[in-house]
Amino acid sequence: MRVEFFGVSRERAGVAELELQADTLGQLMTALATRFPSLDELITGDRLRSSFVANLNGDRFVSDPRTQLTEHDCVLILSADAGG
Amino acid sequence: MTTPTPFGYHGCYLRIDVSRGSAERVPLTETVLRQFLGGSGLGAWLLLEEGGACVDALAADAPLAFVFSPLVGSPLTTSAKFAVVSKSPLTDRINDSLASSGFAIAGKRCGCDAMVIVGRAPELSTLIIDDGRVRLEPAEDLRGAACHVAETTLKTRLGSDYQVASIGPAGEHLVRYATISHDGRHAGRGGSGAVLGSKNLKAIAVRGTARCEWAHPRELTEYSKTLSKRSFGPATAKYRELGTAANLLTFNRLGVLPTRNFQSGTFDEAVSLSPEEIRQTHSRTRASCVACTIGCEHIYSLGDEKGVRLEYESLFALGPLCGVGDPDIVLRASRLCDDLGIDTISAGGTIAFAMECVERGWLDEPWLSFGSGDAMLRALELIGRREGVGNLLAEGSRRAAHAIGHHSIAFAPQVKGLEIPGYEPRALQTMALGFAVGARGADHNRSGAYEVDFSDKVDRKHATVDAVHFAIETEDKAALMDSLIICKFLRGVFEDFYAEAADMLRCVTGWDATADECRETARRIVHAKRRFNLLAGWTPEEDTLPDRFLDTALDGDPAAVLSREHLGTLVTEYHRQRGW
Repeated sequence: MRVEFFGVSRERAGVAELELQADTLGQLMTALATRFPSLDELITGDRLRSSFVANLNGDRFVSDPRTQLTEHDCVLILSADAGG
Repeated sequence: MTTPTPFGYHGCYLRIDVSRGSAERVPLTETVLRQFLGGSGLGAWLLLEEGGACVDALAADAPLAFVFSPLVGSPLTTSAKFAVVSKSPLTDRINDSLASSGFAIAGKRCGCDAMVIVGRAPELSTLIIDDGRVRLEPAEDLRGAACHVAETTLKTRLGSDYQVASIGPAGEHLVRYATISHDGRHAGRGGSGAVLGSKNLKAIAVRGTARCEWAHPRELTEYSKTLSKRSFGPATAKYRELGTAANLLTFNRLGVLPTRNFQSGTFDEAVSLSPEEIRQTHSRTRASCVACTIGCEHIYSLGDEKGVRLEYESLFALGPLCGVGDPDIVLRASRLCDDLGIDTISAGGTIAFAMECVERGWLDEPWLSFGSGDAMLRALELIGRREGVGNLLAEGSRRAAHAIGHHSIAFAPQVKGLEIPGYEPRALQTMALGFAVGARGADHNRSGAYEVDFSDKVDRKHATVDAVHFAIETEDKAALMDSLIICKFLRGVFEDFYAEAADMLRCVTGWDATADECRETARRIVHAKRRFNLLAGWTPEEDTLPDRFLDTALDGDPAAVLSREHLGTLVTEYHRQRGW
């Protein structure tokens, strides 16, 4: 699946997007934390910290680590605070 | 028998009649202060007391209130803020706009909790308030001066210990969305600059020596330290590192970036306008308001000495909304708005509306086309001086639509006359409700309902009545933050905002405030604004969105559709839960 980073998460990851394999959102978070130690500010265990949110395919926001993912999914990592 | 003044307050407001050049101190009871706090809340109460709802917004006797708060002058981060509250010449409803920095501290040191200005000076003047003593000085030499020029000139003339809030040419010309500027920031929305201009005041200069004592100074200092420390954490990282402009790419990806007068939710040239891209080609510095530890201001160079502060709302309104993708143009337009003293959201919204009218052949200004940066800059200049078509556009999109006809009101991007900020309502439907019911019109600072849409609590494209209480919750929280006053960029820092608000109030005022009392205060303030609007002629039909957003899906996103009937259901449920 594709992972896209926006804002602070992109700053920390140092890339705009990448491809990863995971069956659930929790597995994806764990894989990201392993691959990018700089994301420790965003990820705790198998979850995003409260200042960040995940969005599935530009549509639905998801937080449950058990959320099932498919290889065609795209997960966006965003700042929770969208204020302007 | 007089009651003692509560800690954190002076217990009075300064009522200034600029027709007569006179001022009096009017007592404020502890009951009123505890019920309405300061900022927007106390401002709403003052306007009701002064009868501000039933006069024309630009009439001489219309009150214009500059309101401080119990936290101003304290060591609490982001507390150096003031509210400007009046009837809006754009909406004819209540308007409270906030700004930051030294003016708040110096104004409160004049020994008052608010300044209410009525009357009209006989000539263009500067109102000078020196430790509570009031005088007017001619300001004819500043006529036409940009906001920052007026401010710098007056500080040089009067002394650097003065803090100055001023209008630009737009305020002088009564542009209905003119701002009041201070230290590069603006009390931006709703046209408070036109209200000041209608009083023949170019600027207000304040200095003072009066100080308030705090009820529990040691606890306040300790709490302030921990709050400052928390303000450096991940909840505010976006503001520090990229600024609010970081929203641009996120919103574009989610299809909620208003483009070409809300005809689309995505903009092909968004990347070129993103802060990630602009910083590659423009040097950047950071700044912060006085007494702020966040430092959200990102100032970009245009190759000269004076940088341009760029916020998401300016970026969206002067960029995608008008179809403009050239970052240099957007930066120049943002600077022009700062200089003229006009609200970037209303300016961009009104110009985008006019561009669509030109496209449809309803407005004979063929140069004013989507995507033309030169046209946008020219339109801004004309608006700021009410020249040519600028005289029409200075009225805002609602009045312009009524003048143009052809039922163009259907796509004038406004609610109650206030232009809609950069959140596409069809794809953010809790926010759509927040926009529809907002007391000052469509506004992201008085309703943070978008926070809920950007979460897994609701389906943002199919809001149910369950979303109503979230909309109420964010509106109440904003009302309290705007009355304490404390910056909304801190909101992610608080685990229990109401409990911490009560703590702040206890440390400052000594009141045994509780979280429940703070919740009740927030609701009281929302109700006070509603009461003002009722007196000003509010009708239930105002709580809606323009036709463009109803019954038709957002282009390219068939799931993003909001029916008129469903929005009506949400609004009715909102009114029911409010008890209205």
